[in-house]
Amino acid sequence: MNARAMVNEFAKMRHLGVGLVALVMVLAVLGLSLFTLISSPSFDPDSEEAWNALLAGMSLAIPMVSPLLIAVLASRQTDIEHQGNGWLLQAASGLTPGAVCRAKAVALGVVVTVATVGVSLLALLVGRLLAGITAPVPLGHWAGFTACMLVVNLVLLALHILISAKLENQLVALGIGVIGTLIAVFAKGLPEVFAHVTPWGYYSLAEAADYAGDEIVALPLSYPSIAALAVIGAALFLVITARFDRQEA
Amino acid sequence: MGAIHSEFLKLKRSLTWAIVILLPIALVISAAANTLASGEPLQNGWHTLWQRSIVFYGLFPLAIGIAILASLVWSVEHRGSNWNALMSGPTPSLRIVTAKAVVVGFLAAAMQPVMLVAILVMGKAVLGLPGMLPVQYFGISLLIMAACLPLAALQSALSMLMRSFAAPIAVGLVAAGISVAVLMLGGTAAIVSPYALVTRATQLGTGTFSDTGGVTAGDVTAILTAAVVLFAAVVTVSAAILDRRDTRI
Repeated sequence: MNARAMVNEFAKMRHLGVGLVALVMVLAVLGLSLFTLISSPSFDPDSEEAWNALLAGMSLAIPMVSPLLIAVLASRQTDIEHQGNGWLLQAASGLTPGAVCRAKAVALGVVVTVATVGVSLLALLVGRLLAGITAPVPLGHWAGFTACMLVVNLVLLALHILISAKLENQLVALGIGVIGTLIAVFAKGLPEVFAHVTPWGYYSLAEAADYAGDEIVALPLSYPSIAALAVIGAALFLVITARFDRQEA
Repeated sequence: MGAIHSEFLKLKRSLTWAIVILLPIALVISAAANTLASGEPLQNGWHTLWQRSIVFYGLFPLAIGIAILASLVWSVEHRGSNWNALMSGPTPSLRIVTAKAVVVGFLAAAMQPVMLVAILVMGKAVLGLPGMLPVQYFGISLLIMAACLPLAALQSALSMLMRSFAAPIAVGLVAAGISVAVLMLGGTAAIVSPYALVTRATQLGTGTFSDTGGVTAGDVTAILTAAVVLFAAVVTVSAAILDRRDTRI
């Protein structure tokens, strides 16, 4: 990985409002999760299952908010290369389009990781201090949920960087982001096999808690499926960006 | 009329049709797929199908669709030296802004008949519902089309001010989320926001969120009045803003 290229990507972020979009992502997920928690009729802060209500809120909020904002982040960071002819400029400086995409993925990946882990930690804090949940935190399940959501977010980020880099018309990238949001939200109502077909469907496999009748119960996370998505996503990203390296800028 | 005609000409061979047609269809398919996957029949037939399709659509996908259309309509003006040509041309700002808002509004309104046809096809051909979609929903569709106009004007103004394709869409998502929360907490008064206005119009007669389930003359008058007043206000303010803009070096 070219460290200078990555630093360059962080420098490009300064006027793109990347930090603001990431902050919006954190606040929106947190707000929606809390709203779900407060509006849950069965929520009791002293019960053993109280954390499940917050996990269920996050399992709904992350798929609803993240896909589109990740598409926005990737589009903003990549579209500047189309507008300013950055692909050609950087290729002439020895940095191929594939390497630029990889640098963008790492730089934006740091932002998405901070946002995803940050919202998870903030939710813990808010659950304890604001909602007054007294039960012990299910740390293992919470960490697993955060890791799974992070993997799905990063795979989507990589996908959107490729789409935004390949297609100059950002309508396509954002349109796919909207359709992806619909798939992410509705996938939990579909059979599990459908969730495996698109990367957005994997949000439903990372669902940590949901209603079972009137109660909110913890759900098992599909670690093997998420791990497979991580491996396939990373491999495809490297293969496709390697192909970009051999194309004329 | 000349300005509006030229705006439509600029949209030739763009991918606007993809949003206008695919977004409503994707929503109806998602709602029906969940119904089919659950294996349970629709409790209230056409009413339930309408509710499942249109209420979620009004929460934020409709606002996002309109935001994408507005970005698409303005993207051509931000390309190359087109902005300078626009600024130095003889067309008054009010006419430019009105033409853009009308075109975005037309495309946004066009999504509703597509939605209506998709619901009819889904209800009859796929779900085998008896009878026909209740007549009140045809009237509500006209109201939704009217309610789209102020939001189209507002998103058009945001896309006029922001050169980025994606940034106004992110703003749209956040504003839609906030408006939904305000609508749920504050009731119909929230329709002073164009985002809440479309959400309120899509909830009309469904009995969901802040809606009582009935359609009163007061509801219809409030939505229509808000649509006309907000559209005029947003267009006037954005024309004044454009008047103070200059060429870019």
